[in-house]
Amino acid sequence: MTSLQLLLDGFAAALTPVNLMYALIGVTLGTLVGVLPGIGPAMTVALLLPITFTVPPASAFIMFAGIYYGGMYGGSTTSILLNTPGESASMITALEGNKMARRGRAAQALATAAIGSFVAGTIATALLVVAAPAVVEVAIAFGPEDYFALAVLAFTAVSSVLSRSVVRGLASLGLGLAIGLIGIDQQTGQARLTLGIPQLLDGIDVVIVAVGLFALGEALYVASRLRHAAPEVAPVGRAWMGRADWRRSWRPWLRGTALGFPFGALPGGGAEIPTFLSYAAERRLARGVAREEYGKGAIEGVAGPEAANNASAAGTLVPLLTLGLPTSATAAILLAAFQQYGLQPGPQLFDHNPALVWAMIASLFIGNTMLLVLNLPMAPLWARVLRVPRPYLYAGIVLFAALGVYALNGSVVDLFVLYVLGLLGFAMRRFGLPVAPAVIGMILGPMAEIQLRRALAIGAGDVSVLVRSPIAAVLLVLSALALLAPLVRKLLARRGRAAAPAREE
Amino acid sequence: MIGRWWRPELGLAAVVLVLGVLVVIGTLDVSAAASQLGVGPRFFPMLVGGAMVLIGLFYVADVLRGGRGDPEESEDVDAEAPTDWRGVLLVSGVFLAFAALLDVLGWIIGASLLFFGVSVALGAEHRLRAAVVAVVLGVTTYLLFVNGLGVTLPGGVLAR
Repeated sequence: MTSLQLLLDGFAAALTPVNLMYALIGVTLGTLVGVLPGIGPAMTVALLLPITFTVPPASAFIMFAGIYYGGMYGGSTTSILLNTPGESASMITALEGNKMARRGRAAQALATAAIGSFVAGTIATALLVVAAPAVVEVAIAFGPEDYFALAVLAFTAVSSVLSRSVVRGLASLGLGLAIGLIGIDQQTGQARLTLGIPQLLDGIDVVIVAVGLFALGEALYVASRLRHAAPEVAPVGRAWMGRADWRRSWRPWLRGTALGFPFGALPGGGAEIPTFLSYAAERRLARGVAREEYGKGAIEGVAGPEAANNASAAGTLVPLLTLGLPTSATAAILLAAFQQYGLQPGPQLFDHNPALVWAMIASLFIGNTMLLVLNLPMAPLWARVLRVPRPYLYAGIVLFAALGVYALNGSVVDLFVLYVLGLLGFAMRRFGLPVAPAVIGMILGPMAEIQLRRALAIGAGDVSVLVRSPIAAVLLVLSALALLAPLVRKLLARRGRAAAPAREE
Repeated sequence: MIGRWWRPELGLAAVVLVLGVLVVIGTLDVSAAASQLGVGPRFFPMLVGGAMVLIGLFYVADVLRGGRGDPEESEDVDAEAPTDWRGVLLVSGVFLAFAALLDVLGWIIGASLLFFGVSVALGAEHRLRAAVVAVVLGVTTYLLFVNGLGVTLPGGVLAR
């Protein structure tokens, strides 16, 4: 069967009334939670993961697709309407977006963000449909040494790209890998690092790690440095834009998509680099009115980065679905969601569960359309959400974090583990350790170990087996380069600082 | 004995270093049932532990030489503000008390107290309103998750 045929079957499965309802719940919850300040897409997915446990797998993934895209939409609304720097991927959107809002053009900023996200999301999801089967075809021949090398590349890339300081990125990765080691060794049944606590034999659930590092860590961090001034929310009506805005937006949307998708698909690429590149590119290409407005609220500076942000979200799904390789914290949590249902993303997933995968991909298109319809008229409502008094907001986050973690196993021990991880998340935020490497290390670590041991077993203990395949050798060289990349990045940043105004530093 | 070289970040760097050592020591207990081919359950943890020790050393050195990470920016965080340890301790205390008493109090009472405690610790001005919101949230989450989603939450004293 061709992938088009499979995709149509996916649409047939996703378009049933029940699944449409799940998709609608997913996008609504995703946007609602994503809009809340202090909550990025990764935390949105982690907090909402427990809700899907009682739902059958296909519907759960349809809901997840909605939550994933919804969280991205919500984040951009926050950064446009709220006059404070937010999580990194939507920070670039805030540069021009918030200035537009303060000049009374919030409606247009939100409209170009929403429509641009829709356009980018749709094109990038279509690219996913084309790229995924092609990657699967290549990946089917991958041996354990190739998978191990891929994991190493993901580790080094995410540690060095996401942090200004490589040693801090690696420290975060190490913490994640160590957490991932806890529990029974899958191959020999030996208990490792459980400290004699029986509840730790099954390992620490990834939901606890993600909720602890993101949600509770954030709440503690906020408790330590709460901004006491009342939040300034730009007033906004229904999101709309005129013909001139359309004319100025469509090219940045397409360029943003072209930048976002490939970067999203690369290990360590993420959303930060393409959004920044798109911002810089639009600035350079700006002519006439746009040139005058840039830095004071130019629509191009919202349209491009926002499209890049959403396209990278779709790009992230290529390595996740086809190789089981998470390249962002959000993707790592999605991977954990698959594992909750006993599913392992990778080439086999497309073979064994085509219905589920393609229903999920189809619902990405559906969710994206729903988000467009939902977000244009509902902007005033989201603006009201932003005015929630902060003590209530963070008390609510703590309550739902506790609920989600307790609901996993009904165990109070998990709540104490959650607290310890919350403290760790607090320390990491305070000292500028990126959280993503820890989450990726924790989830990908056990898989890397299995592949490493498999490869070494095949090689009968001969270490050179790890570089026997050319793919593995190239990937390991790239990993080494990723550790050197910060030097290059420093040079780029020096150039970038000249291009981007204020905000930085 | 806190000298001029002490910086709070050293604590986190030390955690990384010490955890690395603990991973190595903890792994020594694991009886290695390696087969003839390949490696046993000790190999990978040793690799991770060793790497963490190395990274921890570099991290400590970096902090001592004056390197520092940028505190994460977030919508509701004032990065310039001095750390409010009282807030952190209060939120921690409320959360730990909630975790310890959850099975006795049950979800509705426990979660209401958790919400009330954290919101007051974070400076909620109208205590009565915070209390009302807390009870409403406690009851609705219980009803929604227990009846709607089939999740088991402790009934506690109210169930008796």
